[in-house]
Amino acid sequence: MDSGFLRKLINSVTGRRGKPGGLEKLTDEELLKIYVESGQEGAFEELVGRYADKVYRLALRMVRDPEKAEDVFQETFTALATKSHTFRGKSKFSSWLYRITLNMAYMQLRNVKKLRSTVSIDEYAPYDENGTLMGKIMHKDWSRMPDRVIYSKEALSVINKIVNELPESHRIVFHLRDVEGMTNKETADVLDISVPAVKSRLHRTRLYLRDKLSDYFYERER
Amino acid sequence: MFMCKDVVENIMDYIDKELDMETLRELEKHTGECPECKAFVDTYRRMLDVTGKLKERPSVTPEIRNRLKTLLKSKIDPC
Repeated sequence: MDSGFLRKLINSVTGRRGKPGGLEKLTDEELLKIYVESGQEGAFEELVGRYADKVYRLALRMVRDPEKAEDVFQETFTALATKSHTFRGKSKFSSWLYRITLNMAYMQLRNVKKLRSTVSIDEYAPYDENGTLMGKIMHKDWSRMPDRVIYSKEALSVINKIVNELPESHRIVFHLRDVEGMTNKETADVLDISVPAVKSRLHRTRLYLRDKLSDYFYERER
Repeated sequence: MFMCKDVVENIMDYIDKELDMETLRELEKHTGECPECKAFVDTYRRMLDVTGKLKERPSVTPEIRNRLKTLLKSKIDPC
């Protein structure tokens, strides 16, 4: 690898140099073009700034281990620095970067004994054969509980745990859609699946999560 | 006849405001009359608020950033 290029890269990651003005107004794709064509470190720095947290969160959601997530994080940004010229613009930059992250995560998980998800939610539904809701939903209604309880550290930890126990196919769709706020189409592009498949997985996941949260808040208040 | 099951199966499009007028009217009529479905919709909305908060953490620490710097440095000067 070219040393001068990497030195520029190190400066950009650590943000030692001030950002050239105006970069924050450019799109991701414009920044990448500048970086590929001129090696301008400010452009790379801006991309790292925009995506560091998102890439790390996705990596952690995939591998469920902070150390391994950091490895994926490092490998993703090293790949961004060295393979940015391979971006063809067929999808959004963000989709391309998330695909790199997922590929790095899959490689990371290759040598790990696969943890079988204990949860199966493909057919999950909260109603009986007559189409009537089950599970004492009104009795367990937590929608008016105070924010300090609902957004508490404990509640968020419980949600994280529930999400991490989901099958990978549902966990990642949920993460991209409901945590990162991507659209159905963007999520489908990243995962190379159809929009109906995204919607179906997200639907079952949300139903499952809503039920689990109801159980949690109900037990907590008893 | 619109049932609880129909509320559940249309909830995503309802939240995303993508229901046709007829289905929307039936769904809102049903939830207005069915307290279980009303609670279902209310808790579903609240759940989306809560899960959106997961975005606020974790974030990349300065230590993680520095280790990325070190990694790149090691590629220049492996010794």
